[in-house]
Amino acid sequence: MVNLTIDGKQITTSKTSTIYEAAKENDIYIPVLCYAKKLLPYGACRVCLVEVEQMKGRLIPSCTTPVTEGMVVTTMSDEIKKVRKTVLEFLLVNHVVDCPVCDKGGECDLQDLTYEYEVVTSRFEGEKFDLPKDEANPFIERNMNRCVLCGKCVRVCDEVVGYGSYSFINRGFETKIATAFDRGLDCEFCGQCVSMCPVGALLPRPFKFKARPWQLKEVNSVCGYCGNGCTVTLGVKDNEVQTIRFNDETGVNDGNLCIRGRFGYSYVNSNKRLTKPLVRRDGVLKEASWDEAIQTAVQGFKDAGEQVGIISGARLTNEELFLVKNLSKALGTENLDHSGGECYKGVTEGLLETLGVRASTATFPLVEKANAILAIRSDFYETHPVFGMVVNQAIRRNEAKLSIIADKFGKLSKLPNARTLLHKPGLELNVLNALCHVIVEEGLAKTEGLNGLDELKAALKEYSAETVAELVGGDADAIKQTARELAGAENAAIMLAYGLPYTAYSKELAIAAANLALLTGIAGRQGSGLYLCGEKANSQGAIDLAILPGGKGMGAQQMLAAAGSGELKALYLVGEDPLVSYPNRSLVEKALEKSFLVVQDIFLSPSAQMADVVFPAASFAEKAGTFTNAERRIQQLHVGIKSPGEAKTDFAILQLLLKELGTSAPATPAEAFKSLAAETPGYEMVSLDMVGPQGYVWGGDNLEPELKQLVPVAGAQPLADKYQLLVGSALYHSGTLSTHAKGPNAAVAAPYIELGREDAAELQLVNDDMLKLKTVEGEIQAKVKVDRRLPKGVFFTPYHFAELELNKIYSGQPAIAVEPVKV
Amino acid sequence: MSQVPQLLFKNRRPGETVFIDGYRATGGYQPLEKAFREMTPVELRELVKSSNLRGRGGAGFPTGVKWTFFPADAPGPKYLVCNCDEMEPGTYKDGELLMADPHQLVEGMIVSAYALQTDVGYIFIRYAYEKQAEYLRRAIAEAKEAGYIGKNILGSGFDFELHVHGSAGRYILGEETALLNGLEGQRPNPRLKPPFPATRGLFGQPTTVNNVETIANIPHIISGGAEWFRDLALTPEGSGTKLFGLSGHLNCTECFELPVGIRLGEVVETYGQGVWKNRKFKACLPGGASTPYLTEEHMDVALDFMSLEKVGSRFGTAGVTVFDDQTCMVAATLNLIQFFARESCGWCTPCRDGLSMVRWLLEKFETGKGSPEHLDMLKDQLQNISGNSFCALAEGAMGPVAGLLTHFEQEIIDHIEKGRCPFKS
Repeated sequence: MVNLTIDGKQITTSKTSTIYEAAKENDIYIPVLCYAKKLLPYGACRVCLVEVEQMKGRLIPSCTTPVTEGMVVTTMSDEIKKVRKTVLEFLLVNHVVDCPVCDKGGECDLQDLTYEYEVVTSRFEGEKFDLPKDEANPFIERNMNRCVLCGKCVRVCDEVVGYGSYSFINRGFETKIATAFDRGLDCEFCGQCVSMCPVGALLPRPFKFKARPWQLKEVNSVCGYCGNGCTVTLGVKDNEVQTIRFNDETGVNDGNLCIRGRFGYSYVNSNKRLTKPLVRRDGVLKEASWDEAIQTAVQGFKDAGEQVGIISGARLTNEELFLVKNLSKALGTENLDHSGGECYKGVTEGLLETLGVRASTATFPLVEKANAILAIRSDFYETHPVFGMVVNQAIRRNEAKLSIIADKFGKLSKLPNARTLLHKPGLELNVLNALCHVIVEEGLAKTEGLNGLDELKAALKEYSAETVAELVGGDADAIKQTARELAGAENAAIMLAYGLPYTAYSKELAIAAANLALLTGIAGRQGSGLYLCGEKANSQGAIDLAILPGGKGMGAQQMLAAAGSGELKALYLVGEDPLVSYPNRSLVEKALEKSFLVVQDIFLSPSAQMADVVFPAASFAEKAGTFTNAERRIQQLHVGIKSPGEAKTDFAILQLLLKELGTSAPATPAEAFKSLAAETPGYEMVSLDMVGPQGYVWGGDNLEPELKQLVPVAGAQPLADKYQLLVGSALYHSGTLSTHAKGPNAAVAAPYIELGREDAAELQLVNDDMLKLKTVEGEIQAKVKVDRRLPKGVFFTPYHFAELELNKIYSGQPAIAVEPVKV
Repeated sequence: MSQVPQLLFKNRRPGETVFIDGYRATGGYQPLEKAFREMTPVELRELVKSSNLRGRGGAGFPTGVKWTFFPADAPGPKYLVCNCDEMEPGTYKDGELLMADPHQLVEGMIVSAYALQTDVGYIFIRYAYEKQAEYLRRAIAEAKEAGYIGKNILGSGFDFELHVHGSAGRYILGEETALLNGLEGQRPNPRLKPPFPATRGLFGQPTTVNNVETIANIPHIISGGAEWFRDLALTPEGSGTKLFGLSGHLNCTECFELPVGIRLGEVVETYGQGVWKNRKFKACLPGGASTPYLTEEHMDVALDFMSLEKVGSRFGTAGVTVFDDQTCMVAATLNLIQFFARESCGWCTPCRDGLSMVRWLLEKFETGKGSPEHLDMLKDQLQNISGNSFCALAEGAMGPVAGLLTHFEQEIIDHIEKGRCPFKS
């Protein structure tokens, strides 16, 4: 700690603080333009200059100067004021002062400082730039005439996002910020640059001329898409979410978002939202009253007796899931499950067998301090982009070593010094086994307290790095390097994402990852962690609340099979669209056709179109409650807008159903939380007032494993087929929900089949050609996207789009043998 | 003239370049042999420190002291970088040195690397110095051939590789941290300090950056000793000789090796052979374009770091540019500011936008559109810009402006009052 004096106030602060940070901690105001909490010190704008008694003769930039013992700082004097004012004058020389039409007006740092320092006239004259606006993309408008060259966009894109869209070009007065070759911006459109811009140079296009900042009501909530659990602050006006506001004070994401979080909100305002309950009459879905719809549904359930199944989504709040559970009890059924029922199930079972827990063992921010990181699956960034940004920061700030076990290249592979352990499709397990083999063979394992070591050792014999490398088409030395880094690191992280398109070998994958986490000591060590990241906003909550088959109950796949065969009479789908997103379409189709079907959704999804009763539900922006993210952080949602028409929250709908069934239900989500906390392991001691702005991580920063059981798992064999299709997530989308949002759709509007250049050349395909993929089960077709990230013979398609009908050929296999035919 | 000891220019002949045979003939590579056979790195560093050698690139920081910040004994990669990005108007001495005798720099780099225990060195050379780069590459090849570069030099167990890297060529690359960015292939913005290059420099490793002339002096210090080197200077606190690049309105505009501490008058009269066209001396930049002007009254000032600071200027690079009495100092300063404003990297506001505004003010005066308010504004900028920028570029740029206001304010007033440049008819 260091002691210093700022404006006469005695201050003690960390020796790594800068003068600015020390002042800020103590509520002493120093103006800044180029400073940003999450970026490295920069010191370019020079408005934060202060006087330091020990450094007389010049003014000192407070944002870059570290504190030293006994420093005496003055933050305001006539000279400081004059210099700051001159800096503002300089900036205004070539700034287009078009505040009346600038969306930043009212929250522009330059406008505010100009006002504060009363820069009423500009004594200088210089040319105003007249640079063309960059409107090449539908998300971000770049108006460089308003730029103050603080460099925040350049820095955040590099330091945080790891994309590197921007750079300075030219010099002197002509300096400006440009994209590659000064063409239009074309990137992953996360909008971090927009959120950092202190002026109106970078603006969110969907928000143009929608509202002045002071007209917006700000409501903190949690993003409804993935398990990252980012805080999204809704900017609300006229009962519409107009934009997502910058907020780096709340939650775990440090103000960072991905395209989905920042630009994918618009589905909540969609005019295609369901606004009235629907009941099937004479074979046609017709609008009905809530009373009728509820009564029809309950009657249908009653008619089915105990032959009812409930499949829930993982985007419901914990409180809603709690009511789903109550409903299953009220209906007397143990047939309860969520989200496909395969991937999360395998992953959590595997983890339970080895570590005795069913969640990530550490929190996201710890990854920034990791020295070695292993991502299993190249799609990790695509499924959890903001966590991917933390990985990037670990690499850039702390020189962390990143390895990726991948069947194709992805964003993570492009990060500095990333090592991609490329393998043929479906062989992740083999690579994980090889990593364990190296650690055991080289005596690097931390064996204390581990059970089953001998059995594992024996089973790993066939998985030497060389053998595996040959089988998977990889590099043995690279595998060894990764194993050594993971074993030798003080802090390390293993990350595995799961979700609907990744159902194969999920239990085995979790076990193999847990074996590695045990051998390296990562599981349970403070600062290190094994991360299991669910695809949906409340995937972890659904596991915590055990939205799972109880006793003799059936899981989702079994329920669908049973419904198809007539064994189950009624199905209740809460926020799920299995017809589009579950494997094995014919199975799903048959199940939905034959059963009495109740669907609860915000859109009339393909599954809903087959329903007997449809309940119009509310989006995340319309409800209160909690989500538990992939690092066990419980966070609160707040109501931003009213639901359209007669739509109700899932909570309210479930209340009605329970009431109709003659069962009592908690009156409010808050009351439901009390009850669910009492009976959910890990939540027992949690009350809502403990869930503050940063949420509450149940189990703490370091979740101690209850078991340390190594379990051998067998690897797989590669498919022999020449062409294989991988199924997965695309960066711009999440589940099927994002296909209703303008933002993600503006980036990727339709399904595509991605393939490498070599295959494209061989098959004589170019971008946007139509390609058909045939299998014995059926065929799909979509436009071609040629890229450099896929190995030869490997195709990729994202699973989000209904029109692709991917599950005609996808039934959960790791890779699908296909025959490509140009259409 | 003949008594002036010649170290750096001892092999200099008009139109000739000395390579390894000629260099050896006058004692070249003997200091290297001495250093490797008789001296430890610590002794070498001590020697340089006690020689009082001050950096010849402009800032004049004592080289031996700079070297004490360098973690020479720490393991891991470390770098020695020679700054040969000589681009300041009026400064051309490094180019002259390399045209005449490139092996001096090569030998200096090898012994300095040995002293600092860096096994890789880079010479970062200005894009326009194509010839010099070619000569350096040849000299390096010859030194390698002779066993002075490579593995286990002279059986010492010390390895050293030396590379010549062509600059993309902008003035800011002379700033040492911008140079490191440039060397890494990045945009040459200066870096934040701390960390200083000695801690975290090239590729994130400890790095020392020294000027060409500084490094070239090291072999001479090894052969002559610290005391001899100090005694070469004419001022008690100075040491060594200095390459003076003369330019401007003199009868002779050449580069000379002269003792540190030589009187300005002697440089102008004896070596510059007086002001051209029988005109009178009006002012000079004593050490390159970023040093405040000296005037007639300074003829007896000793050209050394301390004595020049005392009169409000700087020794800089010892590029002496002389202006005759028919020069408009406003125009001369404007010319310099145009250079600096153009060469600003654009990082920080005072330099990027501030220098442009100083240029605008000087243009106002020079075109007869200036007012007393503009003069006040110009004075104001000395405080607003100098000392408040990210690196030293803006501060250097304001040097001549400071000199203009100190010595030639009346000339500005004349411009304002006449509504035109009084030197133009």
